[in-house]
Amino acid sequence: MAGASMNDIKARIKSVESTMQITKAMELVATSKLRRAKEKAEGTRPFYEVLGRAIDDVLASEEVCASPWCEKRDTGRTLYIVIAGDRGLAGGYNANIFRLMDALDSGKDSAVIPVGKKALEYYRHRKRTVISDEYEYVSSLGVSAAMGIGKEVCRGFIAGEYDRVVAVYTKFVSMLTQTPVYEQLLPLEREASSGAPECDADPEEMLERIVPYYVGGVIYSAVTESLASEQGARRTAMNAANKNASEMIDTLMLRYNRARQAIITQEITEIVSGAEAL
Amino acid sequence: MKGFNLEIVTPDGLAFSGEAESLLVHTDDGDVEILAGHMDYMASVATGRARIITGGVSKFASCSGGFLTVLGGEVRLAAVTFEFADKIDVERAKKAKERAESKLTTATDEREIALAKARLERALTRIKVAGL
Repeated sequence: MAGASMNDIKARIKSVESTMQITKAMELVATSKLRRAKEKAEGTRPFYEVLGRAIDDVLASEEVCASPWCEKRDTGRTLYIVIAGDRGLAGGYNANIFRLMDALDSGKDSAVIPVGKKALEYYRHRKRTVISDEYEYVSSLGVSAAMGIGKEVCRGFIAGEYDRVVAVYTKFVSMLTQTPVYEQLLPLEREASSGAPECDADPEEMLERIVPYYVGGVIYSAVTESLASEQGARRTAMNAANKNASEMIDTLMLRYNRARQAIITQEITEIVSGAEAL
Repeated sequence: MKGFNLEIVTPDGLAFSGEAESLLVHTDDGDVEILAGHMDYMASVATGRARIITGGVSKFASCSGGFLTVLGGEVRLAAVTFEFADKIDVERAKKAKERAESKLTTATDEREIALAKARLERALTRIKVAGL
């Protein structure tokens, strides 16, 4: 019967409408969070830029040319710090990061520090060497936690546990574009500047003190960039979902009206032919 | 008193930017005070109180970990945290102090002890600075 299909269509419209309500709310939330996250991401950069310049200055003193922080060791393990989100429903945000990471490394001789719930789940499931599961929630990762990662990573690098440290995160290019990128943290790939200022401690000791801050600063900045990217990706995804939902409602409405029209036409035909039969 | 350009950056953004007459920080090698006309210099900064004199008024702050550079008269301090005394949440610092202390009595792992010690030091600095 046509009446049954009319009810079906009505039920579907209702379900699409309620989904749309959710995606609409999520878009609004993402938009407001995005603004804050963007400001934070921009505020973080000067910190590690200042430290980076300081490292260049220290490297300028001749004694540290052969510093262990700059030493390239070709063989051996790579440590990846992979920053993803805590939650899904952000378009390709999480998937893109994992795809980049898979292209970078087959997982043979490497270890991972996952940051964010999705990253932790992904690498646990894949049975990769997970160094630490402390950083499950990327959204509540503060400065001191990032500095903690920095310190730990530097200790491991100097101890020879891994020969390269790479951060994999999503760069916030603009409100509409977020690109997954990777950045080598250690060994340092910085260029010595021209003149070294005076300091109280010897340069090697100086590096030992500031490199962990630098690495931690870069990690924190990668985290804030990723958080802004996540909100941006979610907003775009939810915006597309809203458009799809309203399109779907339109076509369903059309089908509903056609079905209603068909019933009326059929009823008229039945009455007319019934009258003729009399 | 002659001033110089001071910029203090933290991972959470710019903490201070402008003219100052003096910057006193606790470095890993002891307290250092920077005045205008200081030679090019750098030092790593430890957890401790800091003081800025700007416009004849001294302001205290708690500062933890980072780096100080003086280059061509420009002074830059990159600190992990830098909070002025009036911005410090004393209640939070007191709670952090208690947590760190109880952690120190129970922790056995060397890394945990080091972390708790650093937390305790930061909390104590904050409490002290807030009272200045």
